[in-house]
Amino acid sequence: MFVTDIRKEFYDVVVNQRVALFVSPDIDALCACKVLQALFHCDQVQYTLVPVAGWQDLGTAFMEHKDLYINCSNVDLLETLQPEEDSVFFICDTHRPVDVVNVYNDTQIKLLIKQDDDLGVPSYDDIFRDDEEDEEEGEDSGNESDGSAEPSGKRRRYDEDALERRIERQRARREWEARRREILFDYEQYEFHGTSAALVMFELAWVMSKDTKDMLWWSVIGVTDQWVHDKIPHMKYVTDIATLQRHVSRHNHRNEDEENSLSIDCMRITFEYDLRLVLYQHWSLYESICNSCYTSCSFKLWSINGQKKLQEFLADMGLPLKQVRQKFNSMDMAIKENLREVIEESANKFSMKDIRVQTFAVHFGFKNRFLASDVVHAAAALLENVEKDETPADNFIKALDCLSRSNLERLHLGIDLAKRKLKAIQQTVASCICTNLILSQGPFLYCHLLEGTPDVKLFSKPLALTLLCKYLLKAFVCSTRNKRCKILPLIMAAPLDVEKGTVIVLGIPPESETSDKKNFFGRAFEKAAESTSSRTLHDHFDTSVIELKMEDRGKFLDALITLLS
Amino acid sequence: MPTENLSDKRMSKFKNKGKEPTKMRDRRIAECVELRKAHKVEGIMKRRNISSVGDEEPLSPEYNTDNKQVISEAIQEIVANVNNECPEKQRQGCQAARKLLSRERNPPLKEIVEAGLLTRFVEFLGRNDDPTLQFEAAWSLTNVASGTSWHTQQVVEHGAVPAFIALLASPMLNISEQAVWALGNIAGDGPSYRDALIDCGVIPALLARLTPDAPVGYLRNLTWTLSNLCRNKNPFPRFSAVQQMLPSIIQLLHHSDKSILSDACWAISYLTDGPNERIDVVIKTGVLPRLVELLGFEELAVVTPALRSIGNIVSGSDLQTQAAIDAGVLSALPLLMRHPKSSVQKEAAWAVSNIAAGPCQQIQQLITCGLLAPLVDLLRNGDFKTQREAVWAVTNYTSGGTVDQVVHLVKCGALEAILNLLQAKDAKTVLVILDAINNIFLAAEKLGEVDKLCLLVEEVGGLDRIEFLQNHENNAVYRAAQALIEKYFSEVAGYRCT
Repeated sequence: MFVTDIRKEFYDVVVNQRVALFVSPDIDALCACKVLQALFHCDQVQYTLVPVAGWQDLGTAFMEHKDLYINCSNVDLLETLQPEEDSVFFICDTHRPVDVVNVYNDTQIKLLIKQDDDLGVPSYDDIFRDDEEDEEEGEDSGNESDGSAEPSGKRRRYDEDALERRIERQRARREWEARRREILFDYEQYEFHGTSAALVMFELAWVMSKDTKDMLWWSVIGVTDQWVHDKIPHMKYVTDIATLQRHVSRHNHRNEDEENSLSIDCMRITFEYDLRLVLYQHWSLYESICNSCYTSCSFKLWSINGQKKLQEFLADMGLPLKQVRQKFNSMDMAIKENLREVIEESANKFSMKDIRVQTFAVHFGFKNRFLASDVVHAAAALLENVEKDETPADNFIKALDCLSRSNLERLHLGIDLAKRKLKAIQQTVASCICTNLILSQGPFLYCHLLEGTPDVKLFSKPLALTLLCKYLLKAFVCSTRNKRCKILPLIMAAPLDVEKGTVIVLGIPPESETSDKKNFFGRAFEKAAESTSSRTLHDHFDTSVIELKMEDRGKFLDALITLLS
Repeated sequence: MPTENLSDKRMSKFKNKGKEPTKMRDRRIAECVELRKAHKVEGIMKRRNISSVGDEEPLSPEYNTDNKQVISEAIQEIVANVNNECPEKQRQGCQAARKLLSRERNPPLKEIVEAGLLTRFVEFLGRNDDPTLQFEAAWSLTNVASGTSWHTQQVVEHGAVPAFIALLASPMLNISEQAVWALGNIAGDGPSYRDALIDCGVIPALLARLTPDAPVGYLRNLTWTLSNLCRNKNPFPRFSAVQQMLPSIIQLLHHSDKSILSDACWAISYLTDGPNERIDVVIKTGVLPRLVELLGFEELAVVTPALRSIGNIVSGSDLQTQAAIDAGVLSALPLLMRHPKSSVQKEAAWAVSNIAAGPCQQIQQLITCGLLAPLVDLLRNGDFKTQREAVWAVTNYTSGGTVDQVVHLVKCGALEAILNLLQAKDAKTVLVILDAINNIFLAAEKLGEVDKLCLLVEEVGGLDRIEFLQNHENNAVYRAAQALIEKYFSEVAGYRCT
């Protein structure tokens, strides 16, 4: 059931309990977790933090632990986990649609989900029937449809017209069931995301007047993560940013008057209309432009023509190449002063009208200024670090740590990692486009990264692969002349485990400004795997990410093509 | 059959070494029977429960009579009509009662009985001059008898049994059929009324109506009633009665109608669900080849009781099991073990487990007829109840089979499959598996290949599971696991330490 009073029904309940916190590995979940941890810290709530990468993890983690609260899931939990009757699950999840059984379970499942999200949950009567009359009918009639049960010892004789009515009722029931299937199909057809979990948690803290600037910043990162990893439509992002902005001005207002003014070393969050250039303040402007999806796709930087255009652009801004190529921190103050305006002006001429976007920045003293998206990239890079052989749990903790203000060093490490990751993405995109690796399969585009491609290990992780997929599709749409291909979704496969011979497969919806980011690949993958009995593992919380045996790829794709065309 | 009612006592018996296959079988039969009974009672309870649920859908004015007052008014009118001297009124009253009793939801059985109508209805059964009245009364009484035991008792105590038996001979087919139906309901109530009917000579009267020109609908009812006369135990129906009915039942077993086949098969399954003498009587009729043939039918309603009968027969003596094997059961079972319906898989696995409890010659026949592969498949992929039966099969096999046979089973992948099942939540199943593992080790000891087996168990992750079981909350499981570890694995560990 949906929790309506999050404070009374959730927080006041768990505050006196021992809590197990299951957190899925994405940045929004990490941020939500941070907010909750801070709250628990305040109230001295004991909790166990368990990172869970997928369903299997959740299953084993659940075997070992006992109690509540989970951060990302959209399947019937009771069925999956078979918990004791006295354990209660609180679910704060951005995955949509919400599983109907979770919605209508009143005792064990509590959903911390904002009601104003357009959930479209089918009504109870449409999907559940309380009476179990079919069983009775089956046994009474003496000629069970199933036939495997022992005949009854006694039989009553019905009127002929009673028989007709029974048939009528069975027909009505069948109709109801057909309708139910249809409703559920419509409901479960697409996978998409709702309000950021971090934002939901922040609002809980706010309702209890326990919100701090740190919490606010985390919820900013959570929402930004949804935008960076392309989980929510642009409109949703803008709305949530507006909500956050109100909180930001409230917090800033608090310290405005002279007497209470805080030291500059303290945390300061500001709303910015900043550049869509990744990590530019921690990189050189040139590198940032080259490795940002928005600019690189607009210029088509993978072509010679594109490189030329970039030079023209830099010339148009009137920035000396030497300055552009050196570390941002070391650029002339004079240039930096109105850099954003200069870039925007030139960008407009190069038909990049959206080079600026609403976002937030945080300042710790004079030296450290981070954009929310910088932190998202850094945390994601730490979370999916493949450079050292660290366990996923270690990476999880490191990513969690880099969100704390006291761990700036780790954040900088993450930023370095993120730079390498973004470069790798850019290079992979360029090579895929230049060597025509993206094939149109009819109903969708398909790209397969071969074992041995540089940095291929990086793309065995869902977040990195998502980012690559998104950049690649955008680049493809910019470069192709085929109009039909511009509106197709993309499926990408990357090697996962060479020894086991598995690949990770990800599907993303078509690229468009107004896309609602609804993803139908989850269902399609399931169906295709089922019909071909391909060896797949649907373990990830995002159903559009699966693992697949290399040898089954051919038949799996064939089935997908038939299914979707 | 599910083994969830296993008592701990049973398990401790099971742990006894040197157990005899026949005894093991007996135990399994007893427990299966109990479960089947429990299931049946549950079914009945369910029906009762549901009939007490309110009727929410008023369908037509006539059926919109859930209202207590409306019903009591209707019944008063019926009473008045039935007690009227005018035959037309009587017919009217009787028909109205029949209609009330035939409605689908909440038929007022109790109200009709309490209105004292049964005496009149039984009286009407004898009115040979008025067939309509006879028919309506027979139908009404049939439906009353279809209720709970109390309802059936009311019908019997009003003297309906002799009247119905007399009606069997009625020249009007519909009336005779209704009598067959009513008698079926009475026989289905339990052993005592069943025997009372037999004492009244119901069997010859029924068999007299079993003619080649009888319509299918009539034969269906007749078969069902006969099956009810074979049904239930404590006590079983008398041998003489069974002997009387068997030839006709065998004859019906060759009919082409699926519903008749189904009921006839169920009759056979009731008759074989007992001690070995009971099974013998059935086997002597030479029905086995036909039963095996029916195993290959497509209709679940036929396959289920046929398989149940076969399962009962192979749970009998070794000779009886051999008779079933000779009739070709083993060539039909693999298909059933791969049946899409899990209930069929489960019953088939049960049958296999009983054959595996036989002497090693019979075990050899399991191997020859290729039953091990589907058995291992069931261990791996069956639903849990099926897996449980398959586990029993492995345990029985390993306790009765020769060393070579056990080695063969392990080679087929059974060991790995049962080791995987050690994760099952059900403690009894785990114990049965541990026993099988123990048996396999005993065989390995004879071959002097314990080390090799240890390695195999460890390789497939079995050792970890067994070790994990030492933390099991069930004491017997914990002890069995510990015993295995101490006996076979402590040395290996010792070697490694040195």
